[in-house]
Amino acid sequence: MKTLVVLLFVFFTARGVDAQTQLRFVTWKSEAAKIWEQVIADFETRHPGVKVVQEVGPQSSTEFHDLVTQKLRNRDAQMDVFFMDVIWPAEFAAAGWALPLDSFFSAAQRKDFLDAPIRADTYDGRIYGVPVFVDAGMLYYRKDLLEKYRLQPPRTWPELVRQAKLILAQERDPYLTGYSAQFKQYEGLICNMMEFILSNGATLWNERTLQSTLHEAKAQEALRFVRDQIVAAISHRGILAYQEPESLALFAQGKAIFHRNWPYAWEASNDPKQSKVAGKVGMMPLPAFPGGKSAATLGGWQLGISRFSRNPQLAWQFVEHMTSGEVQKQIALYTGRGPARAALYSDPEILQKNPKFSSEFEIFASAQPRPRTPVYLPLSNIMQRYFSSAIAIADSDIDRLSKAASRDMDRVLDLLRDRRQP
Amino acid sequence: MSNSRDPVWRFLLPSLVFVGVFSLYPILESFRLSFYRMILTLPWLGQKFVAWENYRDLITDPVALGSLTTSMIFVIGTTPIEVLLGLAMALVLNESFRGRGWLRAIVLIPWAVPTVVSSQMWRFIFNDRYGFFNFLLFGNATQFYWAPLAEPGLALMSIMTADIWKTSSFAGLIILAGLQGIPGELYEAAGIDGAGPWQKFRYVTLPMIKPALLLALLFRTIDALKVFDLVFVMTQGGPADTTNVLQFYGYKKTFAEGMIGYGSAIAVTVFLVSLLLSILYIRMLGSGLLRKEKPA
Repeated sequence: MKTLVVLLFVFFTARGVDAQTQLRFVTWKSEAAKIWEQVIADFETRHPGVKVVQEVGPQSSTEFHDLVTQKLRNRDAQMDVFFMDVIWPAEFAAAGWALPLDSFFSAAQRKDFLDAPIRADTYDGRIYGVPVFVDAGMLYYRKDLLEKYRLQPPRTWPELVRQAKLILAQERDPYLTGYSAQFKQYEGLICNMMEFILSNGATLWNERTLQSTLHEAKAQEALRFVRDQIVAAISHRGILAYQEPESLALFAQGKAIFHRNWPYAWEASNDPKQSKVAGKVGMMPLPAFPGGKSAATLGGWQLGISRFSRNPQLAWQFVEHMTSGEVQKQIALYTGRGPARAALYSDPEILQKNPKFSSEFEIFASAQPRPRTPVYLPLSNIMQRYFSSAIAIADSDIDRLSKAASRDMDRVLDLLRDRRQP
Repeated sequence: MSNSRDPVWRFLLPSLVFVGVFSLYPILESFRLSFYRMILTLPWLGQKFVAWENYRDLITDPVALGSLTTSMIFVIGTTPIEVLLGLAMALVLNESFRGRGWLRAIVLIPWAVPTVVSSQMWRFIFNDRYGFFNFLLFGNATQFYWAPLAEPGLALMSIMTADIWKTSSFAGLIILAGLQGIPGELYEAAGIDGAGPWQKFRYVTLPMIKPALLLALLFRTIDALKVFDLVFVMTQGGPADTTNVLQFYGYKKTFAEGMIGYGSAIAVTVFLVSLLLSILYIRMLGSGLLRKEKPA
C-alpha cells in the first residue's frame, strides 16, 4: 500500500516537470487536418519552447460538449484552449468555466469579425470566445432538374413543395425524394425547424420576457406545414432519422431534389469523387413562407480559454494566432469553411478559389442565433422532443404539444428570473 | 467485528476499499445529491437542500413517466426472449458434435463486440435506403422500403432486436454452465425409468438448471433496465421521444443539461427499481440460488 502511494505521488509530480511549456488544445478531427497541423506548427515556431498538445474529441457537437464540460466541471487545469459550438458561450460564461476575454480582445478588434458570431460569444456584456468559422443553413438544389422542367429556384416553401411534386410526378423514380434535411430528434432538428418557424414570422422565444412563443399560431402553422407538406408529401419517412451525413449522402447520390445543409455540403456535393451530382448543384438562401423573410440558423465554432488554465496569457496568444487574418485565410482557402473575419469575403484570392463565398456573405451576416441563455441545453431537449413528436406522428396534436412544450420551457426559464448576482 | 489482527480482515481490506471507493461512495453521493437543487450552468442558485422536491417533480414529470414505461416495455420485451434463445443455444452447445468448440466461440461474438460498435452496425442494417433489413424483406423493390428507426412505432422494437441479438448468447453462457453441472447418471436413471427425450428435459434438465435460468433472467433484467448505449448510438431518444429510456433521460439531465440534483434522483430511481426487481426475483423464485443445494 505504501509503495503504491509513493508511486502515485511520483507519477503525479513527475508530470509537472517538463522543460517545455505545454498548451493543451481540445479540438475535433478536422476534415483538412494538414492545414491545421501546419497552422499549429507555425505557432510553435514563433513561440520556441511551447508545445501545443492536441486532444482530439468526438465530432458530434453533443458528445464534444459532454467531453469539454466534464473537464470544466472537474476544473481540469490541463485544458487551456477548446472549441465551443455557437450555442455554448452563454452556458460556459454563466457557469464560470470560460475566461472572459475583454482584456485581450478589444471592442475595436471585434469589429473585424462578423457580427452574428460575436453576439453569440457575448454574454452579460462580456466576451467569452473568438469566432473561427461561421455556418448557416442553406438550400441546395438540383440545377439540372429544375432547368429540365423550366423552374426557377423556389423563393417560398409552398413553391418548393409544388416544384418537388411536379418533378417527382414526372421523373417516376422510386428512389427520388423531394426534400432531404436533418429531421432526427437531436440538435440539428432545432436548426431545421427554427428556419421554418422564423421564416413564417414567428419566434422560438421572447428574449426580453423570457417566455416561450412556440405555441403561437404562426409557429404552430410552420410545423403543421413541415408535417403535412414536407414529411408526408414530398419526402420519405426515413428523413426522420437523418443527421447531416445521411441527408447529404442522399443528395450526393442524386436521389434528392432539394437539400438543406451547412456550407460544407457545397464542396462535398461538387466533388466528383464522392458525389454523382458534381456540377449540377445550385445553392441559395432557404425559402420563406409567403409574407415572411428567409431565415438561416447560425452555426459555427469559437475558441474559448478555460478559466482553470494555468497559462491564460499564452493561451490567448494561441487563440489570437488561430483567428488571425492570415490563418483564417488559409482555412478559407483550403477547407471551404466560412471564415469569421468579414474582410475575407472580399479577398480576391479567396473569391477566385471559392466564388461561393460572395453569395454566402449575406446569409452569414444575417444568420439567426439560437436562444442565447445558460439554460439553452434544457430548452433544446424540450424543443427536440416537441418538434420530433409534432412532425413524426402523422396526426399529432400540434396545438396541445406546443402548449405543453411552452409550459416546460417557461418552467426552465423561470430559473433565470430569480437571479441574484453573486 | 472480530479482532482486527485477524488475518481475514487484512485479506479482505483491498477489496473492501475498492468497493467502498468505487461503488459505495458514488451510490451514497448520488443519494445525497438527489435531495439538492444543483444546476451547474446556474451557479448562483447554489446547492440548495430541497428534501423530496426532485422526487415529487419526478413522479409528476410526464417525460420521466414516459421513459419509465419505455424502459419497462424494453425489459419485458427483451429478457424473456433472450433467456429462451439462450436456453436453445445452450442446449445445442451442450451436445457433443464436431466443431462444437468453434461454434461456442462464434456464438459469443455478438456479446464480445463492444456495444457501441454493434449499435452502429444495427443502425446501418436498419437504414431506410441501403440497410440489409430492407433488402432481406423486399429485395430490390425499394418503393416498399421502411425506415424502422424513423417510425415512432418501430424504433423501440428495432433497438430491442439489436439487444436480443447482442445478449442472448450471454444468457446462453450462464445456462450452459448450469447444463454442464448436471451429472450424467440422472439421465441414465431417467432412461431406465422409461423417460423419453421430452420427459428427460422436463423432469431432469429444467429443474436442474432453474437456478441458472433465474440468474440469467436476473442479470438480463438489471442490464435491460439500464440500457443506454444502444439508444445513444441508434436514436438519441427519438423519434417523437419513443426510445427515450429512463437511463438515457437521466444521462441527458445530468450531463448535457447540468441538472445534477434531478439527474441524481433519476439515477437513484433506476437503482432502486433494479434493486427491488432483484430482490423480488431472488425471493419469489430463486430461493435455491443463494442456498447450497442439498445433496440428493
